Amino acid sequence: MSAEATTIEARVSTDRALMVDRIRHLAETLGIIAIAGALVLAFGLTSSHFLDSANVRNIFVQISVVGVAAIGETLVMLAGGLDLSVGSVVLLSEVICADLTATHHLPLSVALIAALAAAGGIGALNGVLVAVVGIEPILATLGTLLVAAGLAKLILGLRYLQVDHPIFTDLAVTNVLFNLPIMVAVMLGLYLVVAFTMRATPFGRAVYAIGGNRRAARLSGLSLVGITMGVYVIAGVLAGVAGFLNVAQIGLVSQNDGMGMEFQAIIAALVGGLSVTSGGVGRVERTLLGALMVGMMTNYQTIKGIDPPFQQAFLGGLLLAAVVADRALRGRQ
Amino acid sequence: MTKWFPGTLALDDVDLVVERGTIHGLVGENGAGKSTLLKILAGDYRPTAGRIEIEGHEVEVSTPRRAHELGIGIVYQELSLLTNLSVAHNISLGSEPSTSLAVDERRLAEIASRALARMGVTTIDPAQKVGKIPLAERQLVEIARVLTLRQPRILIFDEPTAALGQADVDRLFRIMQALRDDGIGIIFVSHRYREVLRICDRATVMRNGRVVGEVERGETSVEHLVELTLGQKAAAAFHRTWRAGGELEPLLELRGLHVGVRVRGVDLVVRRGEIVSVCGLLGSGQNELARAVAGDVHDVSGEILVKGRAVAARSPREALGHGIALITENRQEEGLFPDMRVRANISVSSLGRVVVSPLLRVIDARKERRIASAVAQRTGIAPRALSRHIRVLSGGNQQKSLLARWLMRCAEVLVLIEPTRGVDVGAKLEIYRELEQLAQAGAGILVVSTDIPETMAVSDRIVVLHQGRVAGVLDPRSSAEQDVLLAMQGGSARAPEAVG
Repeated sequence: MSAEATTIEARVSTDRALMVDRIRHLAETLGIIAIAGALVLAFGLTSSHFLDSANVRNIFVQISVVGVAAIGETLVMLAGGLDLSVGSVVLLSEVICADLTATHHLPLSVALIAALAAAGGIGALNGVLVAVVGIEPILATLGTLLVAAGLAKLILGLRYLQVDHPIFTDLAVTNVLFNLPIMVAVMLGLYLVVAFTMRATPFGRAVYAIGGNRRAARLSGLSLVGITMGVYVIAGVLAGVAGFLNVAQIGLVSQNDGMGMEFQAIIAALVGGLSVTSGGVGRVERTLLGALMVGMMTNYQTIKGIDPPFQQAFLGGLLLAAVVADRALRGRQ
Repeated sequence: MTKWFPGTLALDDVDLVVERGTIHGLVGENGAGKSTLLKILAGDYRPTAGRIEIEGHEVEVSTPRRAHELGIGIVYQELSLLTNLSVAHNISLGSEPSTSLAVDERRLAEIASRALARMGVTTIDPAQKVGKIPLAERQLVEIARVLTLRQPRILIFDEPTAALGQADVDRLFRIMQALRDDGIGIIFVSHRYREVLRICDRATVMRNGRVVGEVERGETSVEHLVELTLGQKAAAAFHRTWRAGGELEPLLELRGLHVGVRVRGVDLVVRRGEIVSVCGLLGSGQNELARAVAGDVHDVSGEILVKGRAVAARSPREALGHGIALITENRQEEGLFPDMRVRANISVSSLGRVVVSPLLRVIDARKERRIASAVAQRTGIAPRALSRHIRVLSGGNQQKSLLARWLMRCAEVLVLIEPTRGVDVGAKLEIYRELEQLAQAGAGILVVSTDIPETMAVSDRIVVLHQGRVAGVLDPRSSAEQDVLLAMQGGSARAPEAVG
């Protein structure tokens, strides 16, 4: 009799707790969308140009390079790591691509493959250093940051290389979706593919598992080395792709390309609501929102004629706000 | 005293009076509200109604620091030590003695040594990093920490014995009794009712956020406590209803197994359908043995055979390939993915089973749901719990989820270290039953446990280790608890009925 009453009570509380759980989850997702919406509204109301179709196009074009790099960064961070080499790999990919086509007159396909191989190779090196040698990700990728940047500058020297292949021009100019160019579509497509992979494949699950609890992941029979290698290689390759998009957008390769892009990628991931401390929590598609928010802010400030140093400070503030919000949300649990 | 949580009423008008110089037991299943009550006393939570009085004065325990000032010290169930810091630093954490410039390292070491000495602990080096010392000794450090309060008036021990071997429990109880005789009020929270009966002067029993009974020492029994906590007739005793018989195929064999210096030449057989327990005092090598079998430690020599074939697993992944799965004593750190849902926690090791096809490695959500639900049902997890994050489940349900993980994986050899640690009575019984069913389904099960009644009830055979060697093999049906205890001390010869 009393046992029966106990069971029913327990069930009621499970139901409610489940609902609370769901509502919080929804609030987290809606929260970031609401903030992004509020930004659009505020910027749109205070600037007559902000919502012009040409400006919207601009914002998307501007974020597509970082946006693609941030996909890989998000994966690495979800697995509990960090990749500081992203920006250097962007540069390395650009330089290889430009040097092989412009200096050595090789076909573009060969150049692209070589660039991606180099980018993936740096990623694999990161993976080996972290997963096999056991170096802290921040140190390992700081090392490869310098290696990749050094390599790129060695090839480039003091030159500016111009790349004017029609495919690159197409990437940046030809519109496919609404009035967005191919490079934006490439970025969105990559987000779609990776978001699906993270949600619905054993690899995606394993990334979350390893980021959530390494020891448990090991005892669960997941391949720590394999998965860790996987995320760093993907991050490398995507940084390589980001390099192509950057070349397409600028048409010119110079020493400073990609510089600091790792931080922009990390900021996009964190503003998108990735858990800062541990890994294992977050969504790739939200990094896109993060990148968009950062892009909108930068764009708005540029329209308003705010100096870059101030923009940088604002970005820092946004990052800290995101981290604090994450703390507050997770601390409540 | 009432505490509302979104969704649940955690505490409902609870009165608890702890007298000076007494040890007061607090018992109840997980989720009964004990932890919430403790967190209120520790200043982690604020009560929504009700008051706290100490020595007749109403106090507000608004923060953990305030609790410390009031002399309320608490030893939490979840180990809360910082593994990167030394024992001494951990003991003085938050109140480090300092010179004008920096932490006073000498005083720090002194305080630590004094606290440890007060407990009669001489084996722990205060300079050692906490991460380097065994789990059970960390618990002692945790206790030493509350002993350094300026004027401890109320000390709360939240399942302090869960990780301790019998000798350490005895030592702890001596310490608690000494503190009680100093006039300190002690609250002792435990799932081990025998210990509550042994050490407590009085006990409060909680169920579903309410006090359902107060019992005096000498007026109650284990059966009575179980009845009170469960709210139903004693399900206390677990009885095996099935045992394997006849010629049994050896599933797991160890021959001359050495692990570092901890395990020194152990032979052991687990046959299909058997549950074999490995017992020993803390540090007798039982945990290392279990981890060696599951590929989790290095420095292993000797032979490990699965179904007669030698295996040398260098990682848990390889061991799983041979059908060997491990559940450790450290569920939070080595078992759970706290931010994943229960369903994903169960299926994480068997994702190959739920993909659309070997070529298209995409998870078929319906297949995952179906198989996970089936194994969850077998282990007694409520279907609706599957969509929740595993961190919000009780210890018992978390442990059942880990069992379900290996059930889904179809592991043939299951190795469990302290399988019911931090698990309430009801869930314990369900876990025992599930182990029996797994054995019946053809698994071989190796249980490492310091809970002797548990091993007596569950196993077909008890292998007792002493200093890394087999000190006896006992049949629980024809042995008494004392035989096991004696063998654990390295005292007894092999029992005449020894099998295996």
